[in-house]
Amino acid sequence: MYQNVYLTFSALLFAIGAFGVLTRKNAIVVFLCIEIMLGAANLAFIVFTAANQSAEGIFMVMCVMAVAGAEAAVGLAIFVLLYRKTGSINIDKFNLLKW
Amino acid sequence: MFDLVWLIPVFPILGVFVNGLLGRRIEKTNRSIVHWIACTAVGLSFLVTAGIFLKMLSLPPEQRLYDFTWFTWISAGSFHVSIGYLVDPLSMFMCMFVTGVGFLIHIYSIGYMGHEEGGYYRYFTYLNLFMFSMINLILADNFLLMFLGWEGVGLCSYLLIAFWFTDMANAVAGKKAFITNRVGDFFFAVGMLFLLVNLGKHGIWSLNFTEVFTHASILSPKLITIICLLFFMGCTAKSAQIPLYIWLPDAMAGPTPVSALIHAATMVTAGVYFVARCNILYTMSPIAMGVVAVVGALTAFFAATIALTQNDIKKVLAYSTVSQLGYMFLGLGVGAFTAGLFHVLTHSFFKALLFLCAGSVIHAMGGEQDMRNMGGLRKKIPITFWTMLIATLAIIGFPGFSGFFSKDEILWQAFSSPHGNIFLWLIGYLAAALTAFYMFRLIFMTFFNECRASEEVKKHIHESPKSMTIPLMILAILSIVGGWIGIPKSLGGHNLIERYFEPVMGIGPGKLISGAASHETIAHVAETAGEHASFGIQYMLMAATTLIVFAGILTAWMMYMKKREIPENLAQKHSTPYRLLLNKWFIDEIYEAFVIKPLHSFAMFLWKGIDVLVIDGIVNGTARFFMGCGRMVKTIQTGYVQQYAVSFLFGVMVLIGYYIYAL
Amino acid sequence: MELFAILLFGIAATTTALFVIFSKNTVHSALWMVANCFTVAVLFLLLNSQFIAILQIIVYAGAIMMFILYAIMMLNLKKAGDEDQVKNNLAPGRLLILGLFFIGLIILGIGFSPQALKGGMGADALAGFGEINLVANYIFSKGLIPFELVSVLLTAAVVGAVYLAKKD
Repeated sequence: MYQNVYLTFSALLFAIGAFGVLTRKNAIVVFLCIEIMLGAANLAFIVFTAANQSAEGIFMVMCVMAVAGAEAAVGLAIFVLLYRKTGSINIDKFNLLKW
Repeated sequence: MFDLVWLIPVFPILGVFVNGLLGRRIEKTNRSIVHWIACTAVGLSFLVTAGIFLKMLSLPPEQRLYDFTWFTWISAGSFHVSIGYLVDPLSMFMCMFVTGVGFLIHIYSIGYMGHEEGGYYRYFTYLNLFMFSMINLILADNFLLMFLGWEGVGLCSYLLIAFWFTDMANAVAGKKAFITNRVGDFFFAVGMLFLLVNLGKHGIWSLNFTEVFTHASILSPKLITIICLLFFMGCTAKSAQIPLYIWLPDAMAGPTPVSALIHAATMVTAGVYFVARCNILYTMSPIAMGVVAVVGALTAFFAATIALTQNDIKKVLAYSTVSQLGYMFLGLGVGAFTAGLFHVLTHSFFKALLFLCAGSVIHAMGGEQDMRNMGGLRKKIPITFWTMLIATLAIIGFPGFSGFFSKDEILWQAFSSPHGNIFLWLIGYLAAALTAFYMFRLIFMTFFNECRASEEVKKHIHESPKSMTIPLMILAILSIVGGWIGIPKSLGGHNLIERYFEPVMGIGPGKLISGAASHETIAHVAETAGEHASFGIQYMLMAATTLIVFAGILTAWMMYMKKREIPENLAQKHSTPYRLLLNKWFIDEIYEAFVIKPLHSFAMFLWKGIDVLVIDGIVNGTARFFMGCGRMVKTIQTGYVQQYAVSFLFGVMVLIGYYIYAL
Repeated sequence: MELFAILLFGIAATTTALFVIFSKNTVHSALWMVANCFTVAVLFLLLNSQFIAILQIIVYAGAIMMFILYAIMMLNLKKAGDEDQVKNNLAPGRLLILGLFFIGLIILGIGFSPQALKGGMGADALAGFGEINLVANYIFSKGLIPFELVSVLLTAAVVGAVYLAKKD
């Protein structure tokens, strides 16, 4: 009945997350914004699968959470490494991967 | 027995593989193994050849033709080329003396190249490869396989001329030989393709000698003439005739046994062999025959004039080779194929002997090649002297020696055959006089009078080792008796060689050529000519030749023994002709100015103008264009993650847009 | 009543998300993120999927966010400078793209909604959905292989993280 409301909030959260990814320079905050986007995607998954009365969507959400955990582990390790080498985690400083 | 013909080329190529691949190691452990492998290979080839040859002689003439097909080489539609060997009197005749003389020269090389360091196995590998190619050339039963051998001997010639390639002059000489031969080979290949295509128009896609000669009569005489002349251009390069003889004198830069084997006895006679093999084609074209005869006669005379003034012992012999090859072509050109081939045989004996003797002299003198620094060697190296004297008497046509019979036969045919005339005879006659003169000049300058070498060299003069002198003696015997197989009827002989060649002359292997039948067969022509002209004229010509030969010897004796100031006076009095001769008529310079320079500048234009500017310009321009594009586009790759994210987002938006549109 | 709850927690989730972005202090951002996780978990509850809601709280708010806080602590970050202010990084083009993106997402989401969903999602319709036994049956029958693969993924991530972060 209210699925459109849910979906609107999901889209809004996703857009906010994307906005944060594009505007913040602090790698940790960018990372948090990605987590917001993942949460928004999870919300949409649950909305869509609720009608089907099946467990696929729920399982998918669990997978996304696992990926988020893995991502957090590796990503944060990279940030720690970067900080140790350069003393900063401002993503604008890391632009060596280019022509 | 004929089935074993494939063994003949197999032995030398095995030698090439063993020596070429393992030679360096073998040489380090024991260098005698290297030359024993090479000599055994050629010796076995010779034995097989001799076996087949004897077997052939025991058969009646009509059974002496055998086409052995080993396997198919090229197969395209109805066109097939096989690796096949033709056993017939002509090929076995050539093969006999090629493997025989080749074997002797292999033996001789053991002694001559004994001091060679490092390149010993290389030398014998090349020599065996040459034998393989030459045998292929001779035994081939089709034009293409023959061309393979033809190219192979050219390659070996190049490799061996430039054998001591660390010396620039040798490398240049090798290059000259190779490129000059390439010019001829081009014409040869064009002639071959021309023949193939024109026969193909009549549905005969074949290069097999038998088939080509059987069907040659369907081609128009004009085409035959063109084909024959194209082939003859190839022969002028290989057999050192005007205008492409220039490489042969320079080819003397190689080791002397190589000069003897390749540039005197065997390879350079390939052209003669080819024309003789294609005698059916040539007899169908009187124009081509005329060209062959005139070129041969002119070369014989022209080269002899140059040989008069040369001081390098090997150069004299080189020009004499060119001259003798001219005789052979004169013989072929007047339709006396047998006489030409007879001269090939005798020439291979005495010219190989001459070169080997020259090699022995050079060996004794420690590398000295200038005759002005020799003299008086008669007592010091007697075996070399006597064998060389025999060879000289043979080449000048001293009565009784081999050259007498073959050269007289050619001159007689030039005079009497329907294709010949008195001018051709006269040119050959004069060349014979010159030959006698310059050959005895060589003998006198080298072996008589006082020794002009430095004291240092004098001490070391010694007779060559047995491995060198034994081949000399064998060849000396052959130089004397080799001509006896062709004693003409007028002198009470049976002219065995004429009868021997009858099956291949004018008659294609196996059958009579219908087209050629309207012409009379060559053997027949020769015979009728011999019957018609009385023996009287023949005796007169012989006497005249003998007389002028003696005159030549006498002049040489006067100038180089009796009154030795004459040559110098002559040179001063007639300085222009002398300089002209000494510089070989300035032919090299003329070629340089009129052929090589324009070609070179044209090539330079093609290189700098077309290749560098246009072609490289297009290629590099294309690359530069895309490099410029890349340089513009690469700015998109900033390295900033967030800018990437924007483009990523943009892509997602495009996808979303697509799905909304698809809804 | 239900709509009211949805709107309330939806707006709360949006607001906390905005705070995550606009906070100058990274630690504050992380804490707002925890709040965001809780509000999203409530939305999951309203969709009758209790299991996921609890997972959201345990895994996200509990584990991952703690993890991030530890990382922030280790990095010893100062307050964000001028270059990291949202207002300094606002480009009209980007905002336009984001707006279009948002609209596109809504249209797409609603357009692709399953037909059954449109019919209504009352408590009756959702009864039994999201219960733990349903999920467990799925995981240990159909989804066994993906589930195990996820565990492999996690192990690999942990090994990778340890390898990356260890001192040479």
